[in-house]
Parts: sequence; structure tokens; C-alpha cells
Amino acid sequence: MAVENNRNTLAEADYSSRRNTIGKLRRNMGLVILTVVLLVFTMIVIIPFIWMTIMSFRTTTEILTAPYGLPSTLRWQNYARLMFDPQIAFYRFFINSAFVTFFALVFTVILSTMGGYGFGRSRYNFKFRGWLFVLLLFALMLPPQIMYIPQFTMMSRYGLLNSRWSLVLLYTASALPVSTYLMATYFSQLPTELEDAARIDGCNDFGMFWRVMVPLTRPALATVILINGIHFWNELLLAVTMVTEPTKRTLPAAMMMFVGEHGSNYAIAAASLVTAMLPVLILYLFLSDKFIEGLTAGAIKG
Amino acid sequence: MTPETLNRSNNSTQSRRTQRRPWLWIAIFLGPLMIYYFIFVIYPLFATVNYSFYNITPKGGEIVTTYVGLDNYKALLEDDVFIKKAVPNTLLWGIVGPTIEMLTATLLAFLVYFKVPMYRFYRFAWFTPLLVSGVIIGLVFRWVFNVDWGLLNVTLRAVGLDQFALNWLGRTDTPIWVVIFVHYWATFGYSFVLLLAGLSAIPNELLDAAKIDGASTWQAVWRVLLPLLRPTLVTVLILSFMGKMRAFNVVWVLTKGRPLHSSETVATWVQNRAFTWEGSLDLGYPSAMAVVWFGVVLIGVGLINRWLRRMV
Repeated sequence: MAVENNRNTLAEADYSSRRNTIGKLRRNMGLVILTVVLLVFTMIVIIPFIWMTIMSFRTTTEILTAPYGLPSTLRWQNYARLMFDPQIAFYRFFINSAFVTFFALVFTVILSTMGGYGFGRSRYNFKFRGWLFVLLLFALMLPPQIMYIPQFTMMSRYGLLNSRWSLVLLYTASALPVSTYLMATYFSQLPTELEDAARIDGCNDFGMFWRVMVPLTRPALATVILINGIHFWNELLLAVTMVTEPTKRTLPAAMMMFVGEHGSNYAIAAASLVTAMLPVLILYLFLSDKFIEGLTAGAIKG
Repeated sequence: MTPETLNRSNNSTQSRRTQRRPWLWIAIFLGPLMIYYFIFVIYPLFATVNYSFYNITPKGGEIVTTYVGLDNYKALLEDDVFIKKAVPNTLLWGIVGPTIEMLTATLLAFLVYFKVPMYRFYRFAWFTPLLVSGVIIGLVFRWVFNVDWGLLNVTLRAVGLDQFALNWLGRTDTPIWVVIFVHYWATFGYSFVLLLAGLSAIPNELLDAAKIDGASTWQAVWRVLLPLLRPTLVTVLILSFMGKMRAFNVVWVLTKGRPLHSSETVATWVQNRAFTWEGSLDLGYPSAMAVVWFGVVLIGVGLINRWLRRMV
């Protein structure tokens, strides 16, 4: 057995050119130097996050006197004050962000799943469907600046300024092209036999869609929820434009306001950044491959 | 099922379907999406073009609209901040940013493709900034570049390079470079994973075949992998370029275009003129700016596309 295993790995090493390359590198010092360079580069990526987390456990005086230092004691009070001090009450912005992200995701999922089904299945093909699809994908080229001024007057006309619903509506609109594209691609790959089988079982088109097709698209739905959820949670331009009333802000807008007002209280400010970032980072720790796949899928749009 | 029967059944169902298209269901599935899309995307797009011919200012609680023809576009040519700051800064960014990003991201993608030690850890770490809001990134880097106690200056002073410990965000020459750096820091991971995905999609056999023909690793990279990666490279370059042209979060949080408009970009100037302009709020003028800029970006993307896709 041991010999067999050995031979297998040897054979692999012979045929796998990737591993061969590393083998060659390993023979000289190059790899050590390369690793050091990559580690320094990676530290530059990570250090700001670590630094801000350490800052959030110190006092502002400590930060200013020794920026690099470690906290003398872990000051959890910073977080307690951030969340529940009536002057700050940061939890409200969490609720706002969660509200906007949740409802925008619900709208996005409903519209893009139905639309993706209509665009993806050959059963619903008609002469101008391809054109409509291209028109929808055209929006991927549009920068938000080319639309947001009329969106602002539109929201103002219907009394939705300073309402979280304005963000729900506009975020959904911004997410539709890529989400519909992902859903349509997925639906188009499901076999036609499923439709026939559903029809024999007496389903109409909606039953076919809802009972048979939608349950099969879970991976695509997960991608749509993941990439748009991150975007909704982090968005700033529309958030500061449509909502100016302090209590209705979402997290990104609130953090900007907070640092403007309590600018010198760096410890609490750092705590606000850490709490806003934490939900996404925790998800990323457990689902990092899914995240990377999802964002890659969202970009390859032909 | 053999391919023939599959085809035949498809053909027969298709011919039946062309006779009776389920228009009701088409309307039910596509209708809500397209109506929503027309209201919230297509209409605002045309409205912006329309706005650019008007003067739109709120007076006494009402929005007053007056037709001014091409005046907004003429004013654009005489707007010193737009012509001398916002446009040069954004173009500088659009050239320097994607160049650095493509060079480093391609290098890093190859290193991870060839599985340098700890490549999983690198991939995980480099991708992290993409998940974090531009606001958080902007605020942290405002602290990193702080003149007195920022990480950068403290480090520079610690190693005796005091003369380089500048007021990075307070001078007029450095802020745009800080913006370019921070945005690079925040987005290179995206180009990196896209290129890595492109590389992984290239069949392994091609690389093995090159090796059997006696090619060295360098030759395999230059002659086999890079040419096959070119479509991905062009796509990633376009995405990166468009990203810089529309970037808002990081600049807005870092500098808001200050000081003295030295880090103004088109995106921040539109926002400044439209919503934070004190005294005379006017939505027509920034609309004209957005229209012109969208045209410039489209031309830029078109040029990259024509130029690089043809090159062999």
C-alpha cells in the first residue's frame, strides 16, 4: 500500500507541471525571498483592519500618545457606549441598514427570479426578447451619477426623501441587471424535460416555475443574495443623497456623520467601524469560497 | 435519450410553441421586471439628459425649472474646477490606477496559480477589502495618513525618515495619490480573483503539452498562458477603468475633493455641485457634467476594447 501511494504521488509530480514549477523554485533561495515579499504585501492589506480593531479597545488618549501600542485593558465599554449611549445609539443604524438590505433583497430576488425565468427559458422566447435582455444588461455600463439626480427629484416628488423605502427601491433597481443575468443563465441550463413532467402532473406555468424550477436554483439565488447583500450593506452615494435625516441613515452614512461630529473620539469611532464590518467578515470566514465565486460570477457578464 | 430524439422532441415542441406563444405568462414573468427597470433606470437616464438643458433650482419650497439650452455645457468649458482639477485627476486615476492594478494583479494571480506556499491564505486575505464598505476603508486610511499620529508617519519617523512624514491629506499635491493608493488597496483583490478564475479556466493539458515540448516555465507563461488569458485581461482592464471613473465612496470619505479641489474627481464634483453646493443649488449643471462624463467613459471603454482585442 505504502509503495503504491508513493508511486502515485511520484507520478503526479511528474505530470503535474504546476507542482514541478514550485519544485524548481524550491531549489533556490528565490522562494524564501518571494514568500517574504508576499507576506509584507499581505501585511499591508491586513494591518489597517487589525489596527482599527486594536484602536477600538483603547482610549483616545492612548491612541494619540502611542498609535502602535496594545490596549492596556480591553475596553469593552467603548462598544457599550457606542451602541447604547443615547447621544450615539448606533444600534438604530444597524436596524436601518438591516431593514434596507432585507427589503431590497426581497424585491431583487422576486423580480430577478421571475424575470430570469422569463428570459432564460426557450418556452417564453419571442421576437424582441433578446433586445430587451441587451437593454437590461446595458445598465451595467451606467455609472450611478448618470441617474441619481432624476432619481432624487423622483423620490422628492413622491415624498420618499428621508425614507428608507427610497433606498430599498433604488438599490433594487441597481441590482436587477446582474441578478437577472445570473438567474437567466441558471434557468436556461435546466432541462426542458422538467417542464414536460410538470405539465403532465397538471401544473400551469406558475406551478412549473414555483414548484419545480425555483427550488433547483438555490445556488444561483445564494450568489444573488450574497453579492447584492454586500453591496446594499456598504452603499454610500445614494444613502447620503436620499436620506439626510440623522435617525434614518444607514450604517455607511451614519459612520461618516459620526466621525464628523465626534471626530476626536477615535476609540469610539473605531468601534463603530468594527461593528459595521463584523457581520460581513464573520460570514466571509465561513463562506469565503462562496463569496469569491459569487463576486467572480457577478463580474463575468460578457 | 439519444441526441436525435432530444432534438426531435425539441423541434416538435418548438414548432408547437411558435404557434401558440404563452403571451400571458411572458407578461407575468417579464412585465414587473421591465416596468420596474424602465421607471427606475431608463427614465432617470433620459431625464438626466433632459435636465442638462435646464436650470433647476429650489426657490421657496418649489423647484423652479427654466430652459437654458446649451448654457450648462458652455459653462462646463469655463468651469476651472472641472477642466483643471476634476477631469485631469480622474483621467490620471483612470490611467495610473488600472495600469498598476493590472500589473500587480496579473503577477499575483500567476503566483497563486502556480501554488506558492500559503496561496490559500493570500487569496483569502487579498479578497477581504472587497467586502468592507468604502466608508470604513476611507476612514481607516484617513487615520493611517494622519499627520501627527497616523501609522504611516509614525513608522517613517521611527526609521528616521522624518522629512517624508508629510501632511498627506492636507497638502495640495499628495491627496490625489493617496486616493489612488487607497482605491488600489481596496480593489486590486477583485482584479486578482477575476484573473485567477481566468487562468484556472485554461485547460491544464495545454501547459503540460508545452512542458513536454521542452518549454521552460517562463516560455509557458509568455507563449501559452498569457495569450490565452488575453480576453480576461481586457475584460478586467475595462472593469477596473470603469471602476475608477465612477468611484465615489473612498474619495468622498478621504477628502471630499479637498483641499482646494486638489483631489476633486468628476464623481465628487457632480455630488458637490448637486447636493452640497451652498447658495445656489442647481441640478441642471451637474446633470450636464454627468452626461459629458458618461460619454467620455464610453469612448474610453470603446478605445480599450478596439485597441486591445485586435492586438495580437
